[in-house]
Amino acid sequence: MTAPLIHNSSAPADRPATKPPVVPAIATKATPERRRWSGRGRKDFLVFLAMALPNLVLIGTFTYWPLINNIYYSTLDWTLGSASATVVGLQNYITFFTSEDASKVLGTTAIFTLVTVGGSMVLGLLVALALNSKVRGTTFARSAVFAPYVLSGVGVGLVWLFIFDPGYGVLSWVLRGLGQQSPQWINDPQLSLVMVMIVYVWKNLGYCAVVYLAGLQSLPRDVMEAAALDGANSVRRFFNISMPLLSPTTFFLLITTMLSSLQAFDLIRIMTPLGNGTSTLIYEAYLQAFGAYNRAGYSAAISVILFAILLIITVLQLRFVERKVHYS
Amino acid sequence: MRTNLDRRHFLGLAGLGAGAAALAACGGPSTAGTADAVDTASIDFSGVKPAASIDFWTNHPGKSQDVEKAIIEKFHAKFPDIKVNLVTAGANYEEIAQKFQTSQAAKTGLPGLVVLSDVWWFRYYSNGSIIPIDGLVKQLDIKIEDFQKSLVDDYKYEDKQWALPYGRSTPLFYYNKDHFKAAGLPDRAPATWQEFAEWAPKLKAASGAQYAYIYPALAGYAGWTLQNNLWGWGGSWSKDWDITCDSPQSVAALQWAQDSIYKDGWAGVSSKEAADDFAAGITSSTISSTGSLLGVLKAAKFNVGVGFLPGGPEAPSGVCPTGGAGLGIPSGISKEAQLAAATFLKFMTEPENTAAFSAATGYMPTRLSADMTAVLAATPQIKTAMDQLTATRVQDNARVFLPGADQEMAKSAAKILTQQGDVQTTMTELKKTLEGIYTKDVKPKLKA
Repeated sequence: MTAPLIHNSSAPADRPATKPPVVPAIATKATPERRRWSGRGRKDFLVFLAMALPNLVLIGTFTYWPLINNIYYSTLDWTLGSASATVVGLQNYITFFTSEDASKVLGTTAIFTLVTVGGSMVLGLLVALALNSKVRGTTFARSAVFAPYVLSGVGVGLVWLFIFDPGYGVLSWVLRGLGQQSPQWINDPQLSLVMVMIVYVWKNLGYCAVVYLAGLQSLPRDVMEAAALDGANSVRRFFNISMPLLSPTTFFLLITTMLSSLQAFDLIRIMTPLGNGTSTLIYEAYLQAFGAYNRAGYSAAISVILFAILLIITVLQLRFVERKVHYS
Repeated sequence: MRTNLDRRHFLGLAGLGAGAAALAACGGPSTAGTADAVDTASIDFSGVKPAASIDFWTNHPGKSQDVEKAIIEKFHAKFPDIKVNLVTAGANYEEIAQKFQTSQAAKTGLPGLVVLSDVWWFRYYSNGSIIPIDGLVKQLDIKIEDFQKSLVDDYKYEDKQWALPYGRSTPLFYYNKDHFKAAGLPDRAPATWQEFAEWAPKLKAASGAQYAYIYPALAGYAGWTLQNNLWGWGGSWSKDWDITCDSPQSVAALQWAQDSIYKDGWAGVSSKEAADDFAAGITSSTISSTGSLLGVLKAAKFNVGVGFLPGGPEAPSGVCPTGGAGLGIPSGISKEAQLAAATFLKFMTEPENTAAFSAATGYMPTRLSADMTAVLAATPQIKTAMDQLTATRVQDNARVFLPGADQEMAKSAAKILTQQGDVQTTMTELKKTLEGIYTKDVKPKLKA
C-alpha cells in the first residue's frame, strides 16, 4: 500500500510523496513596491479593469447611485412633483416608527413573508417529492408546475381576480352551487391579504419545487439504500437523511424566496390597488410616493427601512442559519 | 470573516461616501427654500411661435381613444405646423398622475397637454406643475363664457383659470328596466333612497339578480359616489376645511348604507366595476359615471334606464357631485410648447369636438353652444346627464383637495360596508386621518 498523499490528492498513486515547495521569504520581502505595477501584474490589472469596469459602472449607475440618492431623499420633506423640499433629517423615520401605520405595515409584511415563504417551500417540497417518483406523466407535470413561475405577475393577478370575483368569479359560482355566499375577497382587507398570499404561493411554488427536485435527484442513493437495509422506513429516511442532505437547497431557497417575497409588488398592485390590508413595506413605499399621498421623502425613508431589513435578514441567515447546513 | 480596514481605507471610503452624498444632493428637488408657485407675471406669449410637436397625455376617459384620434386628425388638417402625439399615459387618472409627477420630479419628458382629474389638478397647482391659462385664453380668444359655468369654475383658484373641462361627468342612477317591470315598479329612478328601500325587496325577489343595488367598487372613487348618500342625509366629508365625516348626519347616512347590506340584505358591494356588474345582470341597479354610459348600453343585453341620483331624508334633490377630468398645461415646458398645447386645447374643446367626444363616451358636453341634436337622437340617455348638471354640487374639499383622502375614504368605506365595522368609530378615525393630511400637506400651502 502506498503512503497517503498529503498535499496533492490528485497525483498518481505511484508517484512518491513530495514535500510542498518552500517559498523563500526573503525574496518576497525584497520585491520593490513598484514592481507590482509592471510586467505581468500590470497586464493582469488592465485585463481585470477591462472585464470589471463596465459592470462596475453599470452597477454603480443603476444600483448604488439610486440607493445613495434614495438615502438622501429620505432626509427631505418632499412632495413628489414639487421643485422644492425641506431638509428634515431623521424626521421621516421618526414619523414612520411613531405612526399607527408602522405596526400595521410591518405586521402585514411579516405575515405575508412568513406565509408565502413557508407555503412556497413546504408545498414546493411536497410537489418535488411527488414529481420525483417514476410514474407516467411526470415530465408534463414538472412543466405544468413550473409554468406559473414564468408567467407575468400582472396577467396572473388579473386572471385570479376573475376567479375570486364574488359577483361572477368561478369560485363564487362553485360556492353558490354549494349553497354558500362568496366572501368579499377583494373588498374585505383581511380576505384580500389571504387572496394575494394564495396567488403568490401558487405562482412561486413551482420554483421551489424545481429546485427541490434537483436537490432530491442529487441525493446519494447508496446512503438511502443502506438506511433502507438497516430498516429505516420512508418517513424516517426522509427526515433523518433526505432533509439534512437537502439543507443547502433549503438554505438557498430560504434566502432567495424571502428576498423576493419582501419585494413582492406586481400581484399586490394588480389585485389590491388600494393596498387595503395588503400594504407591505414595499407597497407602502409605492403608495406613499405614487399612490396618492405624494410624500416622496417619507416613501424614501420606508424604502431605506426595507433595505435595512433585507440586509439584516441576509446577514443573519448567512451567519447563523448557514451553520446548520450540511454541504456534504 | 477578516477585513483589512486600515486608516487609509477608512478615509478613502469616507471620502467616497461624502462625495456620493454631495453628488446625490445635486439631483432632485431644491432645498434652498424656493417656492413652488408659478411666476404668472412672466407668462406672456406675445411673439412666441408654437412648437412643431407636442405630446398629449391621456388615459382615454370613457374608452375615448378612437374619438381622440379623430379629433387630432382634424387638428392636423387645420394646423399642419403643429403635430400632436397621442400618448396613452395610464389606464386611469391615478396612473396618469403618477407618470406626470414622476416626469415633473425628473424634470424631463413632460407633455404639452395633460388630462387631470378633479382630485389632481389642485395638487399640480400647489406644486407649481401647471400654468394658469388666462393669458392664453385671451391671446387665442378661447370663448370661456361658452363653457358650462359650473364645470369651468371647478378649475378656478385665486382668480385664475388653471385648466379647462374635458371628460366631465356626474354619477347617474342606472337601472334594469326589465327587472323593474317584472317587480311592478315604475319605469324611473327612485326619487329618494327611502323610496328605493321600499322597492328593493320586491326587486330582488322578482328579478333573480344577486342584488337589487350594488355599491360602486370601493377602490374606484368611493369618496365620490358616497358623496351622494352623505349629502342626502345632510352630512358631508367636510364643510370648507372642517372635517365633518363623523357628524351625526354623515354617520346616519353610512349606517343606512351598511344596513342595506347586512340588515336588509338587498345590496352588495362591487369588487371591480359596478357598471360591468350591472351590464352583466348581477344587480338590478347601481350608480356609475356618465362616462360609463356608452359602454353599458353596448354591453347590456336588457333595456337600460338612467335617472338622477336619489335624494335622502334631509335633501331630496341637489345631491349629485360633479367629477371627471380637465386638461392642463405643464409649467416645465417651453413657451413654444405651451402655446402649441393651448392651440390644441382650444381646438379640443370646440363645440363640435366636445359634442363628438360626448357622443362617443357619454361624458357631458362642456360647451353651451355644442349642437347635441344628433347625439341625443342616437343616445337619448345622455340628456339625463345633461339635465342633472343643473342639480349638481361642487364636491367637498376633503375629497378633492386632500392628497390621499380618496384612498382613506375608500378604506373606511370598506370597513363599514364589507367588514360591518362600527360606523361612528370608523368615521372618527377617518376624521383624525384627514385632519392630519390637511395639517401636514395642505394647510402650509394655502395662502392666508
